Amino acid sequence: MKKLNYILAAFLVMVWMPSKGQTQKGSVLIKNATVITITQGDLEDTDVLVENGIIKKIGKGLTANNVTTVDAKGKYVMPGIIDAHSHVALDAVNEATAPITSEVQMADVVDPYDIGIYRALAGGVTISHAMHGSANAIGGQNITLKHRYGTFNPEDLYMKEAPRTIKFALGENPTRVHGRGKNIQPRTRMGVEAIIRNGFNEALQYKKGWENYQNESKQKGATPIPPKYDGRLQTLVDILDGKVIIHCHSYRADEIYALINTCRDFGITNIVFSHVNEGFKVAPELAEYTMGASVFADWWAYKFEVYYSTAYNAAILTENGVITSINSDSGELIRHLYHEAGKTQRYGQLSDQQALELITINPAKQLGIADKVGSIEEGKQGDLVIFNDHPLSVYAIPQMTFVDGVKYFDIEEDQNDMRISVSAMETVEPIFLKEHDHSCMHGVDFFFTNFGRNLFEHSH
Amino acid sequence: MKIYTKIKLQCSFLMVMFFLASSNLLAQSDPSGTKRVTGNYAIKNATITTSPGKTISGATIVLKDGLISAVGTNITIPAGTDIINGDSLFIYPGFIDGASSAGISRPADLERPSNFDSSNPSDELAGITPWRNVLDQLDMNSNSINDWRKAGFTIAQMIPDGGMISGKSAIVVFGSPNSTNVLMQNTAVSARFRGSRGMYPGTPLGVMAKFRDVYKNAELSSKHTNLFTSNSGLNRPEINKTLVAMYPVLDKNIPVIFEVSNDLEIRRALRLQKELGFKLVLSGVTEVEKVIQEIKAANATVLLALTLPEDKTKNKSEDLSEEAEGRTNRVKEAYESALKQAGILEKEGVKFGFTTNGSKSGDLMKNIKIMIENGLSEDAALAALTINSAENLGIQKFAGTLDKGKLANMVITTAPLFSEDAQIKHVVADGYVFDYETKAKKASNGNKNGKTSEAVAGTWEYMSETPAGSSGGTMTIGRSGDSYEGTITYDDPSGNGKAEAPMKNIIAKDNALSFSFDVSAGGMEIKVSVSGDISDEKFTGKMSLAEFGSFPLTATKKPNQSNL
Repeated sequence: MKKLNYILAAFLVMVWMPSKGQTQKGSVLIKNATVITITQGDLEDTDVLVENGIIKKIGKGLTANNVTTVDAKGKYVMPGIIDAHSHVALDAVNEATAPITSEVQMADVVDPYDIGIYRALAGGVTISHAMHGSANAIGGQNITLKHRYGTFNPEDLYMKEAPRTIKFALGENPTRVHGRGKNIQPRTRMGVEAIIRNGFNEALQYKKGWENYQNESKQKGATPIPPKYDGRLQTLVDILDGKVIIHCHSYRADEIYALINTCRDFGITNIVFSHVNEGFKVAPELAEYTMGASVFADWWAYKFEVYYSTAYNAAILTENGVITSINSDSGELIRHLYHEAGKTQRYGQLSDQQALELITINPAKQLGIADKVGSIEEGKQGDLVIFNDHPLSVYAIPQMTFVDGVKYFDIEEDQNDMRISVSAMETVEPIFLKEHDHSCMHGVDFFFTNFGRNLFEHSH
Repeated sequence: MKIYTKIKLQCSFLMVMFFLASSNLLAQSDPSGTKRVTGNYAIKNATITTSPGKTISGATIVLKDGLISAVGTNITIPAGTDIINGDSLFIYPGFIDGASSAGISRPADLERPSNFDSSNPSDELAGITPWRNVLDQLDMNSNSINDWRKAGFTIAQMIPDGGMISGKSAIVVFGSPNSTNVLMQNTAVSARFRGSRGMYPGTPLGVMAKFRDVYKNAELSSKHTNLFTSNSGLNRPEINKTLVAMYPVLDKNIPVIFEVSNDLEIRRALRLQKELGFKLVLSGVTEVEKVIQEIKAANATVLLALTLPEDKTKNKSEDLSEEAEGRTNRVKEAYESALKQAGILEKEGVKFGFTTNGSKSGDLMKNIKIMIENGLSEDAALAALTINSAENLGIQKFAGTLDKGKLANMVITTAPLFSEDAQIKHVVADGYVFDYETKAKKASNGNKNGKTSEAVAGTWEYMSETPAGSSGGTMTIGRSGDSYEGTITYDDPSGNGKAEAPMKNIIAKDNALSFSFDVSAGGMEIKVSVSGDISDEKFTGKMSLAEFGSFPLTATKKPNQSNL
């Protein structure tokens, strides 16, 4: 009997697995659901038709030929949840060896086999922002991933139409790693700011060098000498040119405001602050000068700079007009971001609409993809979650998760073992949750442990 | 520390033939008496596979001064040729290793300068040394090379050890210890996703970025150099040896050989190749099935790892939960899939070769037979060991098959190569014949100094570990009637160099060997007793130093090379 079950399970996995080849686009007709569109209100007893990965029609009594139909009577459909700060599906997180590492690309180290992707899907998350860690003042270029789990090819996960983003980090992490750990700049918050400003100024010189070269090359008979290539400075040039969105790890109001000023000096408007525990103190400034703040619902006190915190942060920021999202920064929290969003109703009395925006359209705006995902609208991508109950209910459990109209999670087909790749060298041992592998300070040695381990256990 | 004494020739049937054969070469002054009498051999009446799928029985192959001068039936053997009777022997082209680390020693870590900045270390500190030549790291007389030769390898591309871009490889033949044995130099640039400890680049993230940086700046530097040499009025380029060493890669004259440990690393190498456009060799390939189409599209050369995983589920318990049994079965599937990768490459039409990197010479035939049981054809296995690698390395004009005019590199076995009974009796590399002992099918435990005798007689190199450090020397054991006699060299305790002492009470029985010798140190005689076991021409045992205790001692037998 056990054998039979196993064979059955293996068969199901094989059928389910989209596996090799091109990025899949699917079609599905979800009938009779309460559709939470986010941008156009809630629609009772409504159908959503996804064709070839795109939401084709939202309405009543829709039909479609040769399209899988899901009856969602009594259920809720919402847009796929978007996590604006994650480290899931990465083989390496921190190139913690230099204060600026803007040349490194998280796209290079995506691990499509990470079971964390599937767990995120089981929590209704269809897009995560796979970020560099927070060891450096300017970290690496992040990659926005669509959770097309089941492929061997990391590139199938890339959301290719998403704009480029980059990680910055302020405060204790970069000063600990570089200043106290290696005795180089930055050792203080002033040093972090100096590193960033110097980086931008060097980038301007670099840009000028290349512009001169290009211009001289156009002259007839000219033989200009090419400058050196520097991926680090080139990325900073791209930030200055508005091609890259900054996502900055930050806690304290003073340093947040300081970086806002730095950005204003350099004409940078594409910046999102992450964590932002003291964001409530600078909410009007965040609203005016940035693309918003991505916060935890209620997570703090894991190091000195994170003590001045409140669970009302998201609500205060929202009411002040800041584009606000709630992120996970964790392979565990990513599984229930809808609960995290719900906490803002207890602490801040946000409406259902406001609370759900925190995990859908707002993170989409912060990632520059709000024209494609983040709400259920005709013409947007077919990233959808079906819940058994209203997603802000404590009884809500995701039932099915679709990315581009392809079903990647179905609670009815959730097998014991959903791993894609298993090593032959692995001895069979129990599977443990490894959410601590997905944190900001992953791969960074702690140089000062005399403060006690507890201080470092939550390492964002 | 090691001193290699000249190998003393031992009695063997080949020796007898040397004395019987006449030489037409004038003997040069050769006080050591070790120079071979002739470079000309003929092996008669053997079954010769000249290339995969092409086998001639009752054939003769003639070797003249390191080259194959004739092969086939009805061959006239010129005068002055040593004739080896090949009845019941099978001859194959010598194996070629696409990427080897045998005999390579890692260069010493550099001292960090006082103003060391971990965020911006020098290229050399960061493991970026494409200008290094592997020949500076290579010891052709290492035991490791002897082992691979004994397993049938005659040519290898040697890969330098080091950091992310470690240096330039070279192709060598496993021939005479008196030759440099170099066939070609600067054949590839070796790279790997290995970060530097405690400095930039420290992770695969940094390595990928730094590789792009080095490559793109090499392009710009090359452009600058070209402009400078063909124009006046330009500033001279600042010559950077890292960038200059990359020029042959830019010109696609040589490939980058990337060491990969899994399919995701294969994809990373392919990603760099796609962006930058260099010629790519993937070395140490496993799990190829998951990425085979991309490899084919990139036209990358595949060097399959010779390692295979163990079956971890072999001894699984009977009463597992359903969930645990499911997981066990996935491990089993992964294991079975690993065995099929070679066969899959063949089916996909990929002309892959092998790399011995990371594998053990003793496992070679065992693993290849497992691959054959799991879908690889014997012809494709032989091709992967010979002609494919020759073509991949661009040496097919002079190696890879047993055709006239090619280097005299071959493997001579007692039965068809991939059969259960096959044992390697001789390996010919660069025209030099190396003899190996073959065991009778069922070894009988003979009387005193019986069966072991063949295994004991010969020259051994030993190493011993003592609290004072490791030391080593040579043991030379010969047969004298019913017993043995021998000498051992050791580090002279009274100063530099080696001292020699006669070996006493040599007893070899079954697979055990014991003896003693006396060391004089500061007017004191210390008795040293050694005992241990011999297995596969390796001795593992301990050395007792009177009251000082006992310490491990290992020794490896030098191949019984009959013709230096």
